[in-house]
Amino acid sequence: MIQSEKDIQDSEIRIIGNTDVSAPQSRLRFWGWIVLGIALLCFLVGLLLAITADRKADRSKVETYFDPQPVAIVPENSIKHRLGREIDSLARGFCEVRDTMINDIPLRIYIPHNADMFLFVGEMDKSDTTIVFAAQAADIRRDNHEIVGAFVLRGEPLAWGLSKKGYCAIIDGRITIGVADNSPLFEEATEKGGYFFRQYPLVDNGVLCENEPKNKSIRRALCDRNGEIMMVDCSSPESFHDFAQALVDLGVTNAIYLVGSTSYGWAIDDRDVRVEFGVENRHLPKNASYVVWRKK
Amino acid sequence: MVKHLIISTSLDLVRIAPESIVYIASDGNYSTLVQTDGEVRMLSFQLGQIEKMITFQLGNEGSVFIRIGKSLIINRSYIYYINVPKQKLILSDVATFNHTVAASKEALKQLKELLEKEVK
Repeated sequence: MIQSEKDIQDSEIRIIGNTDVSAPQSRLRFWGWIVLGIALLCFLVGLLLAITADRKADRSKVETYFDPQPVAIVPENSIKHRLGREIDSLARGFCEVRDTMINDIPLRIYIPHNADMFLFVGEMDKSDTTIVFAAQAADIRRDNHEIVGAFVLRGEPLAWGLSKKGYCAIIDGRITIGVADNSPLFEEATEKGGYFFRQYPLVDNGVLCENEPKNKSIRRALCDRNGEIMMVDCSSPESFHDFAQALVDLGVTNAIYLVGSTSYGWAIDDRDVRVEFGVENRHLPKNASYVVWRKK
Repeated sequence: MVKHLIISTSLDLVRIAPESIVYIASDGNYSTLVQTDGEVRMLSFQLGQIEKMITFQLGNEGSVFIRIGKSLIINRSYIYYINVPKQKLILSDVATFNHTVAASKEALKQLKELLEKEVK
């Protein structure tokens, strides 16, 4: 018998090198093992997926007594319909404020009506009665108080860079919320006198975006829900993940973060009542920016 | 260019073409290399180590060598005569050299079969 092993007995011979009689056999055997290994691996992966799928299916069917899963409480309006009320286009502008609960997270939804959105940099004038909603937009660097990420104000770029992949552009009254490393909307905003800023992405085409910060805080988001633009915040501290999941379950198509925690803002409801959130701070850096809706 | 087998130690180096080797026999921790020109060279390597050198240095060209049992590597080009019952193997170029070596009956039988297969 021709050996392929390293050890050899006196009764055995083997051809040295890699060819001739024994080599093809050992090579075939080698590839045979490889093919067998891959086939076995595929089978195991398939089996695992099948088991996992079965378990998921079972879990969704079986009601458990202990540790019940929270059920998403989607507002009465179905996901396909608008969340906000139908408002006469000639009515004066205001901000509709709605409260709801998604996945045990209390959410407040602000939906401006008959108002135009724009960005503002500096100290907000609370006495301006034309403003129906204001909330802080881009983050500011703690060290030099510069705006974090690309920012365009009425066509003028105030900051550049990509630290956060979410963006919002307001160009010719059209509001676009999305996620991209590079967006041509930045240039378009500079050319057409529009607005642009960046923030953490939360939802991208209905899919939750994971973010690095894992702490819990009061979260705010600028959302596009099938073309309906709204601001959503949570009144309990939540992680980025849970908050973004609540937005997904709310039916939000695209969402980016707004400055959360104690950052101040307000909405004027249909009874002209000011609904405030956060803590007013008159010592903000001059680069503090806001998303603002002003009555048409 | 013909590949050469290079057997190097800290003190010396042997560089030899495969066709110049008739056989290499084990001699305990050493090996004896018998050349076609009749010269016999003692190598300070075990036969297994020399087998590895042949494999790594000569690759496919190393297949001219056959390991027979624990104590012999032969150059198949010079196999001239095999007698299985007498356990006799003669390596020769039928002109200038003729070396008789011993191997087990089973190994010689396999060698004989291998050569028979190659002509079929």
